[in-house]
Amino acid sequence: MDVSKEMVREIILEVLRQTQDSKQSAISEEGDISPLQFKEIGKAEPGATRHEVVIGLSPSFGSTMTKTIIGIPHREVLREMMAGVEEEGLKPRLVKVNRTADVSFIAHEAAKLSGSGIGIGILARGTTVIHQKDLAPLQNLELFSQSPLIELESFRSIGRNAAKYAKGESPSPVPVRSDPMARPRYQGLAALLHNKEVQHAKPDMASTEVAVQL
Amino acid sequence: MAKRQKRFQVLADRPVNKDGFIKEWIEVGLVAMDSPNDPKPGIKIQGGKVLELDGKDRDHFDMIDTWIADHCIDVSVANEAMAIDSTEFARMLVDIHVPRSEIVRLSVGLTPAKVLDILKKMNVVELMMAMQKLRPRRTPSNQAHVTNLKDTPALLGADAAEAAYRGFSELETTVGVGRYAPSNALSLLVGSQTGRPGVITQCAVEESLELTMGMRGLTAYAETVSVYGTDQVFVDGDDTPWSKAFLASAYASRGLKMRFTSGTGSEVQMGYAEGKSMLYLEIRCVMITKGAGVQGLQNGSISVIGVPGAVPSGIRAVLAENVATVLMDLEVASGNDQTFTHSPIRNTARMLMQFLPGTDLIFSGYSSVPNYDNMFAGSTHDCDDYDDFLVLQRDLQVDGGLHPVTEEEVIAIRNKGARAMQAVFYELGLPAITDEEVEAATYAHGSKDMPDRNVPEDLRAIDQFMKRGSTGLDVVRALAKQGFNDVAEAVLGLLKQKVSGDYLHTSAIFDTKFEVLSAVNDPNDYEGPGTGYRLEGERWERLKDIPQAIRPEDV
Amino acid sequence: MSDEQLLRRVEHMARARGLDISPDVVAEAVKRVLTELGESPGQSDDASMGSGKLNARRDFPLGAKRPDLVRSASGLHLDEITLEKVLGGKIGFEDIRIRPETLEYQAQIAESAGRPFLAANLRRAGELTRIPDERVLEIYNALRPYRSTKRDLLEMADELESKYQARVCAGLVREAAEVYERRGRLKA
Repeated sequence: MDVSKEMVREIILEVLRQTQDSKQSAISEEGDISPLQFKEIGKAEPGATRHEVVIGLSPSFGSTMTKTIIGIPHREVLREMMAGVEEEGLKPRLVKVNRTADVSFIAHEAAKLSGSGIGIGILARGTTVIHQKDLAPLQNLELFSQSPLIELESFRSIGRNAAKYAKGESPSPVPVRSDPMARPRYQGLAALLHNKEVQHAKPDMASTEVAVQL
Repeated sequence: MAKRQKRFQVLADRPVNKDGFIKEWIEVGLVAMDSPNDPKPGIKIQGGKVLELDGKDRDHFDMIDTWIADHCIDVSVANEAMAIDSTEFARMLVDIHVPRSEIVRLSVGLTPAKVLDILKKMNVVELMMAMQKLRPRRTPSNQAHVTNLKDTPALLGADAAEAAYRGFSELETTVGVGRYAPSNALSLLVGSQTGRPGVITQCAVEESLELTMGMRGLTAYAETVSVYGTDQVFVDGDDTPWSKAFLASAYASRGLKMRFTSGTGSEVQMGYAEGKSMLYLEIRCVMITKGAGVQGLQNGSISVIGVPGAVPSGIRAVLAENVATVLMDLEVASGNDQTFTHSPIRNTARMLMQFLPGTDLIFSGYSSVPNYDNMFAGSTHDCDDYDDFLVLQRDLQVDGGLHPVTEEEVIAIRNKGARAMQAVFYELGLPAITDEEVEAATYAHGSKDMPDRNVPEDLRAIDQFMKRGSTGLDVVRALAKQGFNDVAEAVLGLLKQKVSGDYLHTSAIFDTKFEVLSAVNDPNDYEGPGTGYRLEGERWERLKDIPQAIRPEDV
Repeated sequence: MSDEQLLRRVEHMARARGLDISPDVVAEAVKRVLTELGESPGQSDDASMGSGKLNARRDFPLGAKRPDLVRSASGLHLDEITLEKVLGGKIGFEDIRIRPETLEYQAQIAESAGRPFLAANLRRAGELTRIPDERVLEIYNALRPYRSTKRDLLEMADELESKYQARVCAGLVREAAEVYERRGRLKA
């Protein structure tokens, strides 16, 4: 191999490595994904129909932040989750929970607003809970606490399972991935992201019903 | 960079560089133990009442300030203790001529900012010296996690039996799926008493459910009763110091041991650290615990370890919070229970901080299952590290609570644990555990080696089991009916401990004969070389005898 | 209960109810009331009679060193709780519950070992032994943030005191009511 070939090879390897790195590295700041265009419908009210699942969004979801900790765009997260609910013949309803960035309370609020009593709560970084209105706030039906381990497909399954609970079924829980190494890699970053999200919480503001074009 | 330096390329691929490090962000409290927003120590007392705490007057106290001022600080020693210069106090902590009792007497007169000021003066070696002297119980011990991805009961029973057999004195489980909780608690109860009578077990879930299972005798103690260092996070945790103090008494009223849980970094992770350092907020947690009259605390960052682990001096702060706990005469279950690094070097260095001085429970806990099965999201060390751990004990002549075992013994005890579970499930009308599951659990490395169960069927049966009001006594009967009389006796023995309440005291654990070992009858009497706990005699003979060592006469 | 403890509790309750009286006044009042009642403060049980309180060195662990004092809620001694009886259906879950006297003994041991905070918790626990599991859980949940109005909490404190003689716990609940009000943690 002559010198120029050697150099080209080096450059290719370098580029490959960089793409690998950027795939692996978490996205902490708002990247190039544009925010979702939420249409505010008004103050969120309890639903009358039993055929719905309320999805509670955290203060920064889709607005000041646009993707999960591993870079899944919020647009796709919502599309999958809503499709999951619809697949089971129920209607998803979106509520923006303004007062807190705590996923359990967001999910519990969603459940309390939901006509079926079943709600989903999600944080900008991807942490998700399926909740039921009669449970204590920190209990849950299903909890997906490790945001770096939630892949796109899981969000559809989460929507589907929430709808099944709403219909009174007892579905097999969405498989929880466990990777002990997610913590050392992401926890500091998650704290950083969370502190940014918390700064957008408005403790005195009621939840708003929203619609969005995906 | 156009061209990488080859050594840097190698370094970039090292495990430690997969860890996430972040620079301090003072305004939100992303700082280990030294924030300019931490208050200055000070106290003003009038008419037997704390009027001013660390520069804040009573009218401005938040809930936690109020609790600490009214329930933790002993006004009769506060002025004396606060008058001691912080450096001087720090020296007292390491001075072998100042007895532990004197430190403990003064400690309830300190304010949170004063404790912080004292601990900030100490480096990690000094903090370890303080730990060696101040931990309440003389004999160090260890706790294990027993969980798996499938919440499969035969494996939990086998794993609990092995963990108990290897020497852990406490076992903790939690769930992948919430509704499995009673089944997991049951599996640990049965497995633990199979492996070694006297080991106590707990199931970490939501507070009311956890208490319910304790009241029913499915668990013997509780630990995941969380407290936090700022009002907002406490309330987000759905509690207050008053509700938690009531809960503490509720546990004791049913004869159940319990400790609180907290840890550096939890407040900033939940977004409301008020710009204070992680250690300052954690010291408030320690004092909340003390004021509630709880015997002990699990801390050492726990599930938030990635946060202090990511900032400078974070692991020192984690040791310092353990020391703050024993300074207040509380049992410490000192963390080491969560993966916080990709680097085996960093991992072990972090663990040595508690392993070397010895604590009441060095890990809280050690993963007795492969980390992929650890539903606390992994521990610093897991079952694949057992031999490393045993060799470390032997190299340094340090008692980490485990002892060498043989493969034959472990196969036998795992099998018995799984069979005992099979028997109990049968008698209690829970979905059958098959012979195939028993066999798989006996020889398994983890849940990947286990057949799947019908989860919805299990969950329905477990709900029924709870609705029927089943208790630990039903478990005793089930075991005896199926011929597991020794295990039945042990489970009953554990239930009886709730009648005498001896293990409600600080740092209490049991030996095989259910004789309690606590800070009351095994108080730490360390006063320098030649005193305190020493790994020697029969115990040392047992710990040093690792099967893989070559005997001179065999060569 | 020693005079000193009684004093402390009275002072504490007074504080919890927003009364600010000097310790001397409290001491005087306690003395007067006790004389009127014609009894000295102290437990009426066998442990603290005569030579007085239990001692950590002498009496711990209770199960081994003072089996005479340890009985379950239903009155059974430890050696009466056997596997045979459990299998014969002669022992139910009630028979393996701790009773308040035992918690008082353990509180005395904690005190003599220099742990007054733990002792106080064990005494609160002694009060709670009289309350059914369900109600204990409900009270705990009612004490969680935003669950109760001030009135709910005060009524609960009255119930603790009058129905279950749980005076120290009642004091704790009253204190919570006051703090929650001040810090905005009551039910809206």
